Amino acid sequence: MADLTLKALSKSYGETKVLHGIDLDVADGEFIVFVGPSGCGKSTTLRMIAGLEEVSGGEISIDGRVVNHLEPKDRDIAMVFQNYAIYPHMSVKKNIAFGLRSSNMSKPDKEARIAEVAGILDMTDLLERKPSQLSGGQRQRVAIGRAMVRDPAVFLFDEPLSNLDAQLRTQMRLEIKKLHQRVGNTIIFVTHDQVEAMTMADRIVIMKDGHIQQIGTPDEVYHRPDTTFVGQFIGAPSMNMLAAELTDGVLKIEGGTEIKLAHEATGKVLLGVRPDDLRAGAEPVLIEGQVMLREPLGPDTLIYLETPAGEVIARASGRHPPQLGDVVSLGADEDCLHLFDATSGVRLP
Amino acid sequence: MTLYRNLTIRQKQIVWAWAFLAIPVLFYGVIRFYPTGTAVVISFQNWNLLGDRTWAGLENYRELWNDPVFWKVFRNTFAYLLIGTPVSLLLSFVIAYHLDKLRFMHGFLRMLYFLPFMTSAVAMAWVWRWFYQGVPIGLFNNLLASVGIAQIEFLNSTTNALPAVLAPAVWAGLGFQVIIFMAGLRAIPTSYYEAAKIDGVGWWTVLTQITLPLLKPTIVFIVVLSSIGFLRIFDHVFNMTTNNPGGPLNATKPLVLMIYDTAFNGFNMGYAAAQTVVLFTILLIVSLIQLYLLRSD
Repeated sequence: MADLTLKALSKSYGETKVLHGIDLDVADGEFIVFVGPSGCGKSTTLRMIAGLEEVSGGEISIDGRVVNHLEPKDRDIAMVFQNYAIYPHMSVKKNIAFGLRSSNMSKPDKEARIAEVAGILDMTDLLERKPSQLSGGQRQRVAIGRAMVRDPAVFLFDEPLSNLDAQLRTQMRLEIKKLHQRVGNTIIFVTHDQVEAMTMADRIVIMKDGHIQQIGTPDEVYHRPDTTFVGQFIGAPSMNMLAAELTDGVLKIEGGTEIKLAHEATGKVLLGVRPDDLRAGAEPVLIEGQVMLREPLGPDTLIYLETPAGEVIARASGRHPPQLGDVVSLGADEDCLHLFDATSGVRLP
Repeated sequence: MTLYRNLTIRQKQIVWAWAFLAIPVLFYGVIRFYPTGTAVVISFQNWNLLGDRTWAGLENYRELWNDPVFWKVFRNTFAYLLIGTPVSLLLSFVIAYHLDKLRFMHGFLRMLYFLPFMTSAVAMAWVWRWFYQGVPIGLFNNLLASVGIAQIEFLNSTTNALPAVLAPAVWAGLGFQVIIFMAGLRAIPTSYYEAAKIDGVGWWTVLTQITLPLLKPTIVFIVVLSSIGFLRIFDHVFNMTTNNPGGPLNATKPLVLMIYDTAFNGFNMGYAAAQTVVLFTILLIVSLIQLYLLRSD
């Protein structure tokens, strides 16, 4: 087990810079999730930590030791790949044992270790099977087993759940979380799915275009997004953004109302409100709109409203949602209003 | 028409399938299976192409069994197979394995390897004949002479002739095999290699435990194809030894050349047909063994 530090880590392919110097401190035993849209540099970062990509600039250290120029095998890491990378011609047992090939363990020790890992992952009776005889979830567990068997300092997961169907994904999410609680190794997990990030992470690293947008606990990134991007990326449906102007403690929403706000900043701002916080009849009222579309989800209904400021999404009760064509006044608690700079998209303090 | 209309959808599909299959089935029947059957029949007859066919029973096969030339040719044919297939397999794998890792001039090199495959075997055989000539004409002997090594009789020696004829045949097929191997190598997901890299295993382990086992279908395909090719070798031998086809002293003569010789120089159709049946049987057995090995996984 170990901590991991990234210092001004950057990556370029020729002229194209894909990672613009990122800094991150991961504590021992922490579960970190990198999340972001495709092309944001999260997988590249992970592959650089693994040693599968050259580092163009900056430093990666594991347990205080700079590993920039170490071979992957000397970094004390293990990786689970998106397509699992388990060998189709080897049995489950051989696949798991492959992770131990280069270790100095004696044969009985290896056997014991494989049995232990199989026990933890509940695969003892699958050991002699070939991967083709396994379900998607079982293959996933073999891949995790092969990583676990070496007891690495850091586990790296590269979108490991994206090949599974929705139900299995939820289940494996829980299993990986339980596994982390049990073995306690540091985990770096890459995903493009914000639900996975929210549910599994101790801390989430949200990336965009090779920059870190925010690092924080799931609570922090949801309730205090640092940028409009984070606000809209985390949480579904995504945060409503309303153009507004702030002058002398009064917020004037374009196409909406004016509300008093104890805020020092002045000028053009973006007002972010989550659909979950936007309610019919709540005070203060922000905007009025006509219900154009409803998406019933059971416990509640998403309503899409046409307002002078464009489309706004709100969450309404599942039992008595407004009817199509109704005109609704939407409001939100003052705590639930997020103000961002209109040009930079950065949160106003 | 009502008859057709009363058929079920499934039956209609079958009718259409057979309608489209009819031409190839007819073609195969007339061009492939009928002559094959006839060849088997002729192998039990005596026939000189012009006269009547007379039944000979097993006489042709008995003659074959007692013919020292046949056994010589039989050994030659297997020498082509047993040297040619492994050598070409090994060479094409080594070339493909390294070419796959190379980015510099990749396309050009691949084209160079593929070029002989597109060249006519006759032209190639004649160029290689020239290579094999003695000083001052032949390329190889000139090279040897320039470094002071004694001349080698490539095509005129009973021991050297077969390998000398085999070499261009291997070379000619190499381009195709390299392409197939590269396709097989490309089909292996890179994450397999990355996982191995993280597990810290050496290149030899990666090659023997990951690359080769995953290439098994490709290898079997190439082995079957090149085995059939070497068992049926003819044009290279014929063109490189035109003065005395299959010589010297039958040292390079493969079965197909013997069949050709018996049929169109000796006009002994029955005997030639018996040799054909033997060749067919050998091809069948070799292919079946290889298919069995493919399926065993």
